Amino acid sequence: MDFSIDSEQKALRDAVRELASRHAPQHGQGDAPVGPATHDADTWSALAEVGALGLPYPEDAGGFGASAVEVAVVASELGRAGVLTAYAESLVAGSLLAQAGHELLGDLTEGSALVVPALAEPGRAWSLASSSVQAEDSTLTGRKGPVPYADAASHVIVPATEDGALALYLVESPTVENGHVVLDSTKATRLLDASATAGALAQAVNLGTVALCAEALGTMDAATTMTVEYLKTRKQFGVPLMTFQTLTQRAADMYVSLELARSTVQFAAMAIADNPEDSATVSRTKVVTGQSGRHIGQEAIQLHGGIGMTAEYAVGHLTTRLTAIERTYGDTRQHLAALAAGLSDHGQVDVLA
Amino acid sequence: MQRRLSPDDAAFQQRMRTYFTTEFPADLRERWSAGGEPDPEVIRAAQRRLHEDGLAVPHWPAEYGGQDWTMLQRHIYLQEMQAASVPPPLAFNANMVGPVIAAFGSQEQKDRFLPPTASLDIWWCQGFSEPDAGSDLASLRTTAVKDGDEWVVNGQKTWTTLGQHADWIFALVRTDPDAPKKQMGISFLLIEMSSPGVTVRPIQLIDGGHEVNEVFFDNVRVPADQLVGEENKGWDYAKFLLGNERVGVAPVGSIKRRLAEAKEWAGTVSTDDGTLLDDPLLAARIAELECQVLALELTVLRVAANSREGKPDPASSILKLRGSQLQQDVLELVVDIAGPAGLRWDDTSWEGLAAPTYLNFRKASIYGGSNEVQRQVISSGILGLRG
Repeated sequence: MDFSIDSEQKALRDAVRELASRHAPQHGQGDAPVGPATHDADTWSALAEVGALGLPYPEDAGGFGASAVEVAVVASELGRAGVLTAYAESLVAGSLLAQAGHELLGDLTEGSALVVPALAEPGRAWSLASSSVQAEDSTLTGRKGPVPYADAASHVIVPATEDGALALYLVESPTVENGHVVLDSTKATRLLDASATAGALAQAVNLGTVALCAEALGTMDAATTMTVEYLKTRKQFGVPLMTFQTLTQRAADMYVSLELARSTVQFAAMAIADNPEDSATVSRTKVVTGQSGRHIGQEAIQLHGGIGMTAEYAVGHLTTRLTAIERTYGDTRQHLAALAAGLSDHGQVDVLA
Repeated sequence: MQRRLSPDDAAFQQRMRTYFTTEFPADLRERWSAGGEPDPEVIRAAQRRLHEDGLAVPHWPAEYGGQDWTMLQRHIYLQEMQAASVPPPLAFNANMVGPVIAAFGSQEQKDRFLPPTASLDIWWCQGFSEPDAGSDLASLRTTAVKDGDEWVVNGQKTWTTLGQHADWIFALVRTDPDAPKKQMGISFLLIEMSSPGVTVRPIQLIDGGHEVNEVFFDNVRVPADQLVGEENKGWDYAKFLLGNERVGVAPVGSIKRRLAEAKEWAGTVSTDDGTLLDDPLLAARIAELECQVLALELTVLRVAANSREGKPDPASSILKLRGSQLQQDVLELVVDIAGPAGLRWDDTSWEGLAAPTYLNFRKASIYGGSNEVQRQVISSGILGLRG
């Protein structure tokens, strides 16, 4: 068990930190766009140039043979700078392409193809176990959504029901309406059949979830740092806010939440690098990150006061992103339900193995 | 970054597990596991045995029984010990006065006190808190006045845990009432409990147990060579004692064992359509606690690797704060699982012990620096928020 990062990982971190600062939203110069992000081609090609898009895939499949640990390093830096991208989505898609041995992975890692998974469905809670999209004779019919970045995607990957079981299909140039992928006897290529789909999806979403949690970690880090700085500099009643213990005690609790999430996210990256199927660790990490992110996001706004509510100031945007991450790839409730169903599988949760 | 234990550490883990589960006396483990008020004879026998096997004080200097382990190995040792319900070495000896004497005591003091402290031939208790000096410990008023080659001690200590069994007390006493800051006039004094003028009075707690005491000093004469380190530097030693550890601050192994037991117990409590373990709300709560305990354990492991050995360390405040919260949350869960059966107290069943144990451990967020003090240490010591 070793939490330290090596010199190559440090170099990657520094490169992405520099990239992220160049592509970060400019706060303090008028209102920054609010709400879900849109795809930014410049940021995406910069990520491709530093190799971030192909990190976790085997070299013979068109990747760079690194692991979830490097992915987490990249995602944390994006989160810290508030740079919103399709990184997690691309990782889920890339993992599926790699498992299917599909040649599109090369274009994905180069950034020339933007491939995203179409997993959510209107009017349904999160589930990887079923899909209302029907597959028949290499065509798909149904609707998936919202699908983040679908409007910019060159391809989407769709789980579809085929003879009563789930299979995975690739759709080129999808039709997108209001953020939803609309399929109407749409031509599609089967990536994986029913025997391989459930396992492949679980692995892919594990990787994407670790990336999201690492992004949340960077986001929480930035929100905590900004809040602490604000308490030092903002004056009311003629004194800095840090004079008030009711605020500093709450800042201490934010820091505790941050450090708990940091340990867990770093461990999850190592765990997934060691065993990509370790969904229980991913679920636990999603829960810890969700709870820490909710706590830090809410307190960051409250401790800033009114300025935290404004579109021109960064901290509220960080809370917006944490709110979205908690609801992506299964929320806290869904992951707790999955863990609750497996309580009898173990006595204690073993960390040291 | 590496998730797996190295082969050496994995072998170490196996060695600890084998020792604690097969070589250490099972009857001592069973008596400790049963819970309730700690039996001093169990504690003595356990520490004597651990000391014989070189496992009572592994974090001490090697010449006094230390093992020169890594932080990770020390964590594994504690984890395996707690998982096996082995009574831990008495904290006042192993984690408090021992390290202070080893770091700041004279050679004579080390040779005189460390061996019996490691083996529990001396049972130590802690004389820090006073009726008017709790979180504001530096306001303590117990005095020690030099008279020839003796100190004459007068005053009162309180919350002295297991003082009724103790042979000696390590006490913070005011030796310079005129010091410019109240922290600067305090010394660290070792006092034999059988000295004339020492009186112990029990304090009954809400769980019905007798765990803490008041200790009164009435013209107690203490040989001058029982003052540790330098006169008026006692505050530094107290800070060292309270904050120099990252390993062992949060009782992760005990929390995990109790949580696993809670699951077993929940599976034995019938409901209208199964057991409590099938209840979705209770199962989700257990799953959530497992997540939170995992985060704590990983934080212990991560910060232990960066430990600043021997210096007061604000990171240990995170572990104390979160460790006490989760310890309390798990014990609260057990009361809820016990349900109506927990309304009757006894010390022979888990249901009968659930409520008193829960009540007893409300102390955990108060002793050793309350959680509010820990937040203060974090906000000022780590975040630089100074009012």
